[in-house]
Amino acid sequence: MAILSASGLVKRYPKPDAPGAFFAAVNEVSLTIEAGEIFGLLGPNGAGKTTTLEMLEGLTDIDSGQALITGLDVSKEPYKVKQRIGVQLQANEYFDHLNLRELLALFTALYGRNTPPETLLGRVNLVEKANAKPANLSGGQKQRFSIACALVNDPQILFLDEPTTGLDPQAKRNLWDLVRELNTGGMTIVLTTHNMEEAEYLCNRLAIMDHGRIIAEGTPQELILEYAPEPPAVPRHGNLEDVFLHLTGSALRE
Amino acid sequence: MNLTLTMMRTFMRILSRDRQAIFFSLFFPVIFMSVFGLVGSADDDPIEIGIADNAINSLSADFIESITDRSEFDVVTGSKNDLREQVVSGDLKLLLVIPDNFQDNGTPTNMTVLVDAAQVRELGLIMPVLEQTLVEVERRLRNIEPLFSIQVEDVKARAQNYLSFLVPGLLAFTIMQIAIAGSGYNIVEYRRKGILKRLFVTPVQPKNFIGGLVMARSLFCLVQLSLLLLIAVFLLKVEIAGNILSLYVVIILSTAVFLSIGFSMGSLAKTQQSIMALGNLVTFPQMFLSGIFYPIDILPTLIQPVAKLLPLSFAATGLRDIIVNGESLLGILPSLAGLAVWAAVALVLAIRLFRWKEVAA
Repeated sequence: MAILSASGLVKRYPKPDAPGAFFAAVNEVSLTIEAGEIFGLLGPNGAGKTTTLEMLEGLTDIDSGQALITGLDVSKEPYKVKQRIGVQLQANEYFDHLNLRELLALFTALYGRNTPPETLLGRVNLVEKANAKPANLSGGQKQRFSIACALVNDPQILFLDEPTTGLDPQAKRNLWDLVRELNTGGMTIVLTTHNMEEAEYLCNRLAIMDHGRIIAEGTPQELILEYAPEPPAVPRHGNLEDVFLHLTGSALRE
Repeated sequence: MNLTLTMMRTFMRILSRDRQAIFFSLFFPVIFMSVFGLVGSADDDPIEIGIADNAINSLSADFIESITDRSEFDVVTGSKNDLREQVVSGDLKLLLVIPDNFQDNGTPTNMTVLVDAAQVRELGLIMPVLEQTLVEVERRLRNIEPLFSIQVEDVKARAQNYLSFLVPGLLAFTIMQIAIAGSGYNIVEYRRKGILKRLFVTPVQPKNFIGGLVMARSLFCLVQLSLLLLIAVFLLKVEIAGNILSLYVVIILSTAVFLSIGFSMGSLAKTQQSIMALGNLVTFPQMFLSGIFYPIDILPTLIQPVAKLLPLSFAATGLRDIIVNGESLLGILPSLAGLAVWAAVALVLAIRLFRWKEVAA
């Protein structure tokens, strides 16, 4: 059963170098995500991944197209949708002067719930940091804390925007375990990443975006079989990074 | 409403823990009040003058005694050259030289006053007193009863000094600073850090967010203003002639005005630098034009009508009328009306400019 379905999503922004002209940051994107999946959105910088997520989360207006989450129209019932989704953003700064326990209590209250902060901290293994300020956490702890903040309403679907960017290998593995654990508990997870190992390890299905469009979609295996360049006489060769570079080219972005 | 209260409690907690901000918001007005409190009392000190007596007769002694009796002056006598040195070094304000032909023989004598006119602001006050003293001495000598005399009767029960003028202005100025910093600067900071964005993926609505911030800030502003009032009343002995409740009505209304102005600014400015520039643009001219440190009446006539319409002018005038003149709310109706108009305009502007999707971006 599809928990999220989007069809023909478009987001236009004014061109910075040509006043009056527009470009489509997201151009006719359609997605179907099944309940219980870990779905990965891949693409170079500026491909439109974050804009797509923000349209699904109700942060950015949808110029045309439609997005349904658990059957609710994101544009028409944004506040009902917000009750059912959890969001971790790329920037994860919080109010100064509040510790983790107080911040979690605030987020919990905003959803009209009363889950104890300790329970949430326990789920991301940060109980001993309850009295710390977010500014004093390590990179991996910060990411785990922002996931805890996204779990306060026990969401059916969790959006993670580049959750492991900038983390060391240990913290990265630790976060992958957390994502898998949440997924095993029945939560649908949608994430963006630049890390091909992560996509291959975590995701049931992937979509690769470039220039605002989805250019390939499938399971990691399917994508490797279809797109990884195969030299003659060598059976199945290459990895997901080869697929990515083959599809989006090797030129540097931004 | 529940979410608004949640946001309010959160902001109260954040504000009360920001010790640095609390310190600096009180530091400036307290320092100003204390400094001017001391300067104000120094104004009553006698003016130090020197008298070089070249005549040395009963008439000159009589004259010197009459001058010394006056509370305005602190008289030093000595030789002309010594005293001249003291005038040059600034120890004496002026030197009065009594010529050797200073006698009661019917011929007019000329007295010389040595003064560094650029240094002495009070010259206009000193000279009439000297002249009056001479007239008195002359009358006594010639046994003339004065035809006219003036009796000064103080009808004001309060001490009217610079401090009591300054304190209401500083209170108004502090309200402006706290309120604009509390809304405008904070919004820009929260947007830059991505906190607004993070909040707006939760079910909290802009009205909850703004409502909570406004209520927390207003409460906080009241506490800070009360502290300043306590310092002014108990440490600096400033008397509040009017009703304390009326005073708080003006304080609350002024807070609303400046919070709304701050919100509008926070929505216009996109970076920390631009909110600083915008903040200075709004607060600095008002600091000098709104009658905080000196009355609006001494500004150039052309500027006065504009200056009187500034929000800070209405706040300062309203507070001053209550604190110094003991006016009732009815008596400061023009100031209240001015503040109400500003509040309405600024509030409409704040709501129109603050769109959370743009703010979140």
